[in-house]
Amino acid sequence: MNSGELEILLVEDNRDDMDLALHALKREKLANNIVVARDGEEALDFLFCRGAFTHRSFDHPPKLVLLDLKLPKVDGMEVLKQVKSDPRTKTIPVVIMTSSKEERDLVSGYNLGANSYIQKPVDFDQFRETVKRVGLYWLVINQPVPLGTGAKAAAQRA
Amino acid sequence: MTSVDAGTIAAVKFGVSAEDHAKATLNILEDFSEDKARMEETQHAIFNILRDFSDEKIWLESTQRATLNLLEDFDEERTKAEGVSRELQESVELLRVAKEAAEISNRELESFSYSVSHDLRAPLRHISGFSKMLAEEFGATLDPGAQHYLERIQTGTQKMGLLVDELLNLARLGRHALRLQPTRLNPIIAEVVAILQPESEGRQVEWLIADLPAVDCDPVLVKQVFQNLLANALKFTRPRADGNTQKGTAASTSRTVIEVGHKEEGGQPVFLVRDNGIGFNMKYVDKLFGVFQRLHRAEDFEGTGIGLATVQRIVQKHGGRVWAEGELDKGAAFYFTLSAGKQADVKSSGATAGGQS
Repeated sequence: MNSGELEILLVEDNRDDMDLALHALKREKLANNIVVARDGEEALDFLFCRGAFTHRSFDHPPKLVLLDLKLPKVDGMEVLKQVKSDPRTKTIPVVIMTSSKEERDLVSGYNLGANSYIQKPVDFDQFRETVKRVGLYWLVINQPVPLGTGAKAAAQRA
Repeated sequence: MTSVDAGTIAAVKFGVSAEDHAKATLNILEDFSEDKARMEETQHAIFNILRDFSDEKIWLESTQRATLNLLEDFDEERTKAEGVSRELQESVELLRVAKEAAEISNRELESFSYSVSHDLRAPLRHISGFSKMLAEEFGATLDPGAQHYLERIQTGTQKMGLLVDELLNLARLGRHALRLQPTRLNPIIAEVVAILQPESEGRQVEWLIADLPAVDCDPVLVKQVFQNLLANALKFTRPRADGNTQKGTAASTSRTVIEVGHKEEGGQPVFLVRDNGIGFNMKYVDKLFGVFQRLHRAEDFEGTGIGLATVQRIVQKHGGRVWAEGELDKGAAFYFTLSAGKQADVKSSGATAGGQS
């Protein structure tokens, strides 16, 4: 893994959840380069390279977005909708990681193009195991869209 | 009167005799008397007619009165009918209001269970996470007492997580639409037994599973019924450490027998799950199916008190009923019907016991 390459954008407003997720990800040594967005607006600014993130480029998308649903300002579903409906960002894998496994959340999540939907287990051991498997799959096992052929090319067309 | 005129004229014209005259006069008088009789008859007739008229009039009047009464009655009926229709309208309105209220409370229940699932699980996860991190990162510097407390925190958190999840499942059941289909129950039971395998690890469990008839039911929900009942059977046949058991029960012999069977009753199959575990006192039988109702101390048998309430909810959704029989230290039996649909297949072969453990 390239240490300079952004691996995960964690979108999480709750400080406790953020600490637990970061702890789990770092313990499993799956990701070194993690950025945290604390609300939906910040997440969108980051992904669309605007606001405080104008210096960023669409050429370097995160390998994975871990998205909470209940977020201040712009909620998780809206973030998902915007990311998946824009050709510049739609190939970025988005995994919903939330407390809820409400049917309506699952249905609208998948309808909006979520790549996966995970309910955070209450038990911390299970939570760590889940985070480990998600990280392993999306950062190691999964083959992403080659850089410059997906997001970048689309961005140039847009 | 024409004849009188004619006689007089004849006497004057032709100078008739006195005798003739007297005869003519008698004739005329006779004629008069005849006329009088005829006139009287006519008068009678007229009186009769008049009387008839008066009768007719009375009859007409009474008819009129009857008609008026009828009309009045109609009016009353109409008022009554209007009243009924108003009442109906009011009832319909009441129903509409009640339905709206039910919909609102359903929505509230839905949003309640939503926030329970979302909001209640989060802090639990944090307690679990940070207490575990504390134990792992600083456990070496904690004395055994402190470590023990941390374990208790962990156990409590797990219990509450289970409770929240099961409550949510129960709440969701209310909204779950029944998907009835002809279902063979034996494969479902085999699946459940496989799922429960870890819980019977290291124990001798004899499963007596009869060949059950296929029924119309929702297989997902009915699997839940068997899972809860069989898990209970396994749990309450578990050997106890306190030695407070009687001879012949699973708890004293460590030999567990769990039976799944059926019998025909009133043209429909009654399913049963029976064990030889610690049983229960029949005076508490009404408490068995209540939410959060438990008949055993948490230290003896873990559980949330939601399992049998869930079983009852599912059975009732199918239009069936569930009941139980038990005797302390002898065992318990749970019976249920799934009477919402017709039997799909009646190839029952009785309570053939087939061991599979």
